[in-house]
Amino acid sequence: MPTMTYLQAISSALRDELRADERVLVMGEDIGVFGGAFKVTDGLYEEFGQDRVMDTPLAESAIIGTAVGAAVVGLRPVCEMQFSDFVSCGFDQLVNVAGKMHYRQGLAVPIVVRLPSGGGFSGGPFHSQNPEALFMHSPGIKVVAPSTAEDAKGLLHAAIHDPNPVCFMEHKHLYRRVKGEVPEGVYETPFTARIARPGEDLVVIAYGAMVDVALQATEDLDGAHVEVLDLRSLVPLDRDAILSSVKRCSKVVVVDEANMTCAAGAQVAALIAEHGFEDLDGPIVRVATPDVPIPFSPPLEQAVLPGVDRVREACRELLAY
Amino acid sequence: MSSSLTDTTLVDVTMPQMGVSVAEGTIVAWRVAVGEPIAAEQTVVEISTDKIDSEVPAPVSGVLAEILVEVDQTVEVGTVLGRIAADNGAAAPTVPDPAPESAATDPKPAAASPTRPPDSKPDGRHYSPVVQRIAAEHGVDLASVTGTGRGGRVRKQDVLALVNGNGNAPEPPMHIESPYRPDPDVPSRPRTPAPVPPVTSSGEGLSRIRRTIGQRMKQSLDTAATCTTWIEVDMSRVETARAALGVTALAFVARATVQTLREFPALNAWLNGEEYARVPDVNLGIAVSLGEDGLIVPVIHQADELSVEGLAARIRDIARRARARELTADEVLGGTFTITAPGQYGSIMATPVINQPQVGILDFEAVVKRPVVITDADGNDSIGIRPMTILGMSWDHRALDGALAAQFLAALRQRLESVT
Repeated sequence: MPTMTYLQAISSALRDELRADERVLVMGEDIGVFGGAFKVTDGLYEEFGQDRVMDTPLAESAIIGTAVGAAVVGLRPVCEMQFSDFVSCGFDQLVNVAGKMHYRQGLAVPIVVRLPSGGGFSGGPFHSQNPEALFMHSPGIKVVAPSTAEDAKGLLHAAIHDPNPVCFMEHKHLYRRVKGEVPEGVYETPFTARIARPGEDLVVIAYGAMVDVALQATEDLDGAHVEVLDLRSLVPLDRDAILSSVKRCSKVVVVDEANMTCAAGAQVAALIAEHGFEDLDGPIVRVATPDVPIPFSPPLEQAVLPGVDRVREACRELLAY
Repeated sequence: MSSSLTDTTLVDVTMPQMGVSVAEGTIVAWRVAVGEPIAAEQTVVEISTDKIDSEVPAPVSGVLAEILVEVDQTVEVGTVLGRIAADNGAAAPTVPDPAPESAATDPKPAAASPTRPPDSKPDGRHYSPVVQRIAAEHGVDLASVTGTGRGGRVRKQDVLALVNGNGNAPEPPMHIESPYRPDPDVPSRPRTPAPVPPVTSSGEGLSRIRRTIGQRMKQSLDTAATCTTWIEVDMSRVETARAALGVTALAFVARATVQTLREFPALNAWLNGEEYARVPDVNLGIAVSLGEDGLIVPVIHQADELSVEGLAARIRDIARRARARELTADEVLGGTFTITAPGQYGSIMATPVINQPQVGILDFEAVVKRPVVITDADGNDSIGIRPMTILGMSWDHRALDGALAAQFLAALRQRLESVT
C-alpha cells in the first residue's frame, strides 16, 4: 500500500471518484486553476476540466445551493468551504435546504461539504474553528471527522456514496502531519468508531486531531492501560462502541478541540450518563477548548486548545479517583 | 387501661404481617419498658416467626403506655401488642436509639422488611454506580472493601479484586464441595455469646434458634420412622459439566434430585399424622449453615422449573441472604424435600433428620477420589480413579418403604452419572 499524507489521501479519494463516476464534480473557491488554498485539489482541473472542477464566486451560500440543485437532479457534488469557519455563510442552504429536502420533498441530496477545520497554526478566530456540533444539532445531515490518512480517504469515499448531505470535517493541522498507509482504489470506511488503542483502565474518546493528542498523552501513563476510541463519525454516533468502551474501562475522558459548550463530546457525555451509568467508576471528565474565540497569539492558542499535557493530567486525575 | 393524659392519643402497636403465609408471631423482647419514651420508627418490640426474626418500629413518637402481649407469647397477625401514648404535635426525638440493633435508620415498616437490611454506607463512603452494581451482583459488602482510590475511595478494581478472589478463583477442590462456599463477609448482628452448656435440661442459655432447631429435630425423630439409605455415585461427569458451566456440584445434585422427585412423587410429599399428601410442585429446601448461630433451610419454590444454572444462582442467592439475615418468612416455608450438603470438611456419610412434615431428606457429602472397578462395554473390568460420593437419604418409613427409597437413589445415581 502507498504511504500518503492525510491531505494526499483526500486528494486521492477525490481523484478516484472523479475517475470512477462521471456524476461526481468538485466545486469551491480557488479549487480549480489554483488547486485549492491547501492544494487538496491540485491537478484535478487539468485532468477533469472546468465542468467537473469548478471555481466558484466567494459565496458559500451559492456553492452549497448550487450543489443541492445539482444533487437533486442526479449529480454527486463535493463542495469545499475554503475554511470551515465560512460555512456559516452557507448555513441556510445546508441546514434548511439540504438537511430537510428529503423530509419535505422526498428527494435525496447526495452532497459532500468538505470543511477544512481546526486550529493549532495561529490561524486566528476566523480560520481555526470546529463547527461540527452545529450540524450534529441539525437533523438530516451526517457528520464525519477522520483522524488518519486511511480513514480520510475511506470516509470521503463513503461520504460521496452516501445519499444524504455529509459534512466532511478534515482537519487542517493533520493535512501534512499525519501519514499512513492507504489502500489503493475506492474503499469505504464505515461511519462507526474505531478503537485506536485498546485498554481497560480508562478510555479517552476523541475524534479528528484530538485522537493523536489522546494517543500521545496516554502512551506511557504510569503503566495504566488507556483505551483511545476514535469516533470517526459524529452523526451517526457509534453508541454501541462508546458504551462498550465505557463498560470495559468504567472511567471516561472525552476530548474536543471544539469549544466546550454543546460540543460533540457533550453529546457523548450525555449518552454515557444516560445509558452507561451503571458502568461508571468516576465522573465523566471533559477536556475541550474553553468557550472563547481562538487567539492569533501562538502561546495563547496553545493555552486554549486541548494539548497532550492537559489530556494527560485529566487522565491521571481520573485514574487516581 | 385508661389514660389520664388529656393531650395524648393512644396508638396501637400490632403484630405485623411478615409474609403472605405467616399467620402468627411470637414476642421475643420488648425494647422499651412501660413509661419509657420511644421515637417513631425506633424498634419497640422484637418478634419472631419460626426462625425469622424481625423488629416492629414504633408507629409514632411518644411513651410506651402499656404492654398487652408478654415475651414468649404467640399471637395472630394484627393483634395489638401494646400502645404508645403519642406526643401530640411534638417532633420526634432526633437522637436515635443507641441500642446496636436499632431500626431507627430503617424507614420501612416491619411488615415489608422482616429483616434488617445491611446499612449500605455505614461509614459515610460513596460508591460509584459500577462499584455498587458489581457489589450487588456478587453480594459484596462494600463497607469491608479496602479502597485504593483517592481518600480511600473504593474503585472498580478494588471490588473486582475481591470478587475475582472469591468468585472467579478456580473451583475449590472437590472434597470441600458444598453450598457453604465462603461468601464475602456480611455484616452480622452481634452474636449471642456462646452459652455455657446448661447443667439442667431446661434449655436456659440456648439461643432461640438453637431451641427451635432442637425442638424440631427431636419432634421429627419422635414422629417419623426415620431410616437412612445410601448409594455410591461416580461424579466424573458432574465434575466435568460443572467445571464447564462454572457452577457447583450441588446445583447438579439439586437438579437431578428435582427430576427424580418428579419420577417418584411419593417422596415429594407431606405427612401430617395420618394425612399424607403429594405436592404438585417441587419446593426444594437447601440447608444453610449460619455458623455458630445455627442452621436455616430456605426453600427454592417450584425448583422443578429451574435449570442447573438457575438452581446454582438461586442456591448462591439464598445462601448469601440467609447469612445476611435477609430471608423473608415465606422463603423458609413450604418445602417439600430438603438437601443438606455439609461435606466441606471431608465427611462422607451422615444420617440427616427429616424436616417435618416432609418425608425425605438427601445428604450430599464430600466428593472423594477413590479407586473403583470400572466395567467397559465388553464386560472387562479395570481399576480407575474416580471422584466418588455417597448420597444418603433419610426417609420416613410411615410414608414409604425401603425399596422405593433405593429405587429413588438408583434413579438419582443414574441421572448424575449420565450428566452431559
